Order: sequence, then structure tokens, then C-alpha cells
Amino acid sequence: MSFDQIGVVALVIYLLILVVVAEAARRARRETSPADHFLAGRELGVFVIFLTLYATAYSGNSLLGYPGEAYRRGFSWVMATGFMMSIIVVFHALVPKLRPVAVRHGFVTPGDWVRHRFGGESGGGALAFGVAVLMTVALANFLFAQLKAMGLMAEQVTGGLVSYELGVLLLAATILVYETLGGMRAVAWTDTAQSLLMLVGLAALLAWLLGESGGLSEMTRSIALQRPEAVAVPSARESVNWMSSILLLGLASVVYPQAIQRVYAARSGVVLRRAFAIMTFMPLTTTLVVTLIGLAAIPRFAGLGEVEADRVMPLLLGAWAESGPLFTLAAVVVFMGALAAIMSTADSVLLSLGSIAAEDLARRPRSAEETTRLGKRVAAVAMVAMAVLALVAREVTLWGLIELKMELLIQCVPAFLLALHWRGMRARPALAGLLLGSVIAVSGVALGIHRVAGLHLGVIGLGANLAVVVLGSMRAGPLSRPAG
Amino acid sequence: MAPRTRARTRSLLLVAIALLYVFSIPWYRESGASPEIWWGLPDWVTVAVLCYAAAAVCNACAWLLTDMPEEEDGEPR
Repeated sequence: MSFDQIGVVALVIYLLILVVVAEAARRARRETSPADHFLAGRELGVFVIFLTLYATAYSGNSLLGYPGEAYRRGFSWVMATGFMMSIIVVFHALVPKLRPVAVRHGFVTPGDWVRHRFGGESGGGALAFGVAVLMTVALANFLFAQLKAMGLMAEQVTGGLVSYELGVLLLAATILVYETLGGMRAVAWTDTAQSLLMLVGLAALLAWLLGESGGLSEMTRSIALQRPEAVAVPSARESVNWMSSILLLGLASVVYPQAIQRVYAARSGVVLRRAFAIMTFMPLTTTLVVTLIGLAAIPRFAGLGEVEADRVMPLLLGAWAESGPLFTLAAVVVFMGALAAIMSTADSVLLSLGSIAAEDLARRPRSAEETTRLGKRVAAVAMVAMAVLALVAREVTLWGLIELKMELLIQCVPAFLLALHWRGMRARPALAGLLLGSVIAVSGVALGIHRVAGLHLGVIGLGANLAVVVLGSMRAGPLSRPAG
Repeated sequence: MAPRTRARTRSLLLVAIALLYVFSIPWYRESGASPEIWWGLPDWVTVAVLCYAAAAVCNACAWLLTDMPEEEDGEPR
């Protein structure tokens, strides 16, 4: 049996397993409320919370985008290990404060916090709406990147028997089925299996690559011979960009709606803190590994273009599969692990998108059942729209998409991190700051300017955003009555 | 561990993480210099990886020292 045929069989078996898990999750549900559908009834334990956080954080961007970026930029991409870890560091400022309020008031979406904190004052509703819009745009962008990565992976794992287009449509439909059937419960259960596949697969691939390259030192020497700049100490501009990326990713990722919803979904605070304690090591076992995988591709595949570099991982897996029958099987396992990681992120994004649209954007009072149904419908529409976009807009790099998403999402940071710690923060300045920061970030995209002296425009926008929030709130003075 | 000691230790760990992050970036090295190879990686990359490994240990300890009682009022003060 050839690699392509094994790939098709593995893909079909994997998709069938997902549908079975979804049906089991549907049967396990207790009610049709938004909390049960979108947060699995707030009963997730340490193991599942950890693995679902892990599978959600490490996505198509990590598995295709990061090796591609390591290939383009060289060893300075070790910064990715730092910024992925910074997310779990910045969560210290969010989780211990947000979790108790969320439990007491039964929050389902990130917007529930914004309404709770600012709902009683002028501009509070508009701020909650603005945050929901930015989160929706960022999630749609994120979903688009996952669909693009899924199409690439499906095409590669089946040797072209399943085309990019068919891969996008088939996998998008599968996600839609299991997410609609089983909600967060199905997403968390499939995430658990998907993250185990991903961990084992990546470790095996790295071991093979290092063996093939004659060890880590030999690999580094080969890269230095071919591209000395990839090994040399980075420029001052690259160091500024390194710091800026840590700030951008660390701050923006803690306001990922799907991450915030996992904070709500945990069974208890103890469960959460244990899950985060384990999560902090995952950049070393995943991001560092995919960075080394991308670097190992430099001596193997010289001269890949900007967009082509995103195919580094599939190209390496293809080469691995040709090394012998056992490696063929192992490569298929890694492919499925990578595909699983991408799908697990896409399903979480889709679930969050549906809940935010139903709860935060459409504010008309509805029954719990109607809200859940609306969330499912919005998710279906969003999935179809992003799948169509993934079919027509193929010339976009995955890292480019991550930066755009983060630059928008980071503008929501004051409404969470600052608002949790500073009672004096007011809604109107927060709204003005959000708008200013977003305009700066979007103008950069429109003008094709991503960084100024190595600093991301989103980070500059956040600086302006914070200045407006702090100065405006101090000028307005404290509210006459306590919020909430 | 007493609650005050836990909180103080946690704060110290967070400061240590911030310092490790500062030293992980090779801003103090000459740009474009050819590095030596330490443990199979360019020396500045090895330093960064060690900083991140140490930061992971500190961060895990900080999380285990984090108090998050469900009934506590987490409102800003």
C-alpha cells in the first residue's frame, strides 16, 4: 500500500472517529443551555482542560506557520518559544481575578465580563459591542488560517488524491458536524486525542530529522554554511522585534475568546492552576521542536519562496515517508497529528465565534435554547464563508495572518487586564482607546506597514490605546457608585 | 506555606521570569557576530533556550502557589 493510499484510509478512519465522539458527546449533554453547549456544563477536569488548552493554543499556525517562519528567519525564531510561554505568564494577570467573578455570575462569553464591569455606565454597551466585533473579526481570521492549513495538510497526506479544495470542504464539514452535535464537550474530548497524537508525532519527526542530519551540531553547521545570517547574532531591529513579538503574542493571546471560555469551563480554580502549571512547559516540547524542524529544512530545501516556506513541514514529512515502510506509517501518524492540531483549533474558534455572535452581538433577549440554536447557525454560516475564502485567497502566509489577528485582538487587552485590576477605569475612554488602537493596527495593514523599527503596529496601537484609557479615566474620575 | 509567604514567593518568581525574558534576547551581543556552538546550537540560542526552560520552572511554581478560591470576590480594588 502506498503512502498516498495509507493517507486516505487514515483520513477516513480519523474523520469517522470524530463523528462517533461527537455523537457520544451529544448523548452526554444534560441540557440545551448555552453553558452546557459552549462550556461543557463547567465540569472539565485537569487532564482535559490541559489538553484542550494545549490543542487550542498549538494550531495550524504553530505546525505549518512556525516551521515556515523558522525556515525564513533562521535561529532567531527561537523567539517563538519565548512568546508562546509568555502567554501562560500573562495569564497570571487575568485568571486569578476573572475566574471567581465568572463563576459567581455564570459568564459564558468574554463579553459577559465587559458588560458586568462597564454595563452600568454610559458607553459600557458600546464597549462590549466593540470588543465583540474585534473578537469576531480576529476569530474569523483565525478560522480562515486553520482552513487554509487543513487544505494543505489533506492534500499532502493523501499525495494529492484529496485536493486542497476538497480537503478544505471535507474537513470543514466534519468540524461543523461534531461541533454542532456535541458542542464544547465534543471539542474538548477530540482535543484530548488530537493533542496526544500531535505530541508523539512531533517528537518522532524531530528524532528522525536529527538522526538524518548527523545530530544537532551538524545540522547547525550545515545551516551556517548555507545561510550564515540564519545563525549569526540577530540585528538590533530583530531583537526589538523579538521583544515586540513577546508583548504582542503574550498580551493578545490571553484575550483569545476560546482561552477565556476555557477559564470559565474548568471544574474549579485548582484544576485551572494545575493545568496552567503543566501548560507552561509545552512551548519547550512543541514550539521549540517545530522551530528545529523548520531549521532542519534549510539545508534540505534551498530557495523556497515566502509562501512556499509554509509547506516545509509537509515536505519534510513526505521525505520521511520515502525512507522505508515503517517511516511511511510514522509519517502518516505525524500528518494526522498535525491535521488533528489544526482541526482542534478550528473547532474551538468556531465554537467561540458562535457563542460571541449569539450572546454578545445579537443582544435581543432570547431563551437559552434559542441562543444555543442561533450560535450553531452563526457557526455554520461563518464556516461556509471562511471555507470559500480559503479556496480563493491562497497567496497569504500563515504568519502574516497570525500577526494581523494579534494586532486587532491586543486592543481588547485594557478591557480585561486593566479593568480587572483598576476600578477607576471608565467605559468611554476604554471605547475611545479601543477604536484608536484598532485604527492604527488596521491602517498599518491597509498601507502595508507591519512594523516600525521592529515594533508591531498593534503594540504601538496598544500604547496609544492605554494612554487614552488611563488619561481619559483619570480625567473622568471614579464612578459615583460601584460597578456590578 | 503561610498565605503571605506564598504570595511573596509568587511575586519573586514572577520578577525572576521577567529578568529571564530580558536576558533571553541577545540585545547585549554584537549584531551579525558569528557564534560558537554550545550543545549543538549557536551560543545565543542556547542561552535563550536555557532562559525559557528556567522561566517555565519558575512559572509552574508560581501557578502552583496561586490562590484561586471559587467564592472569593475577584472585583478590582
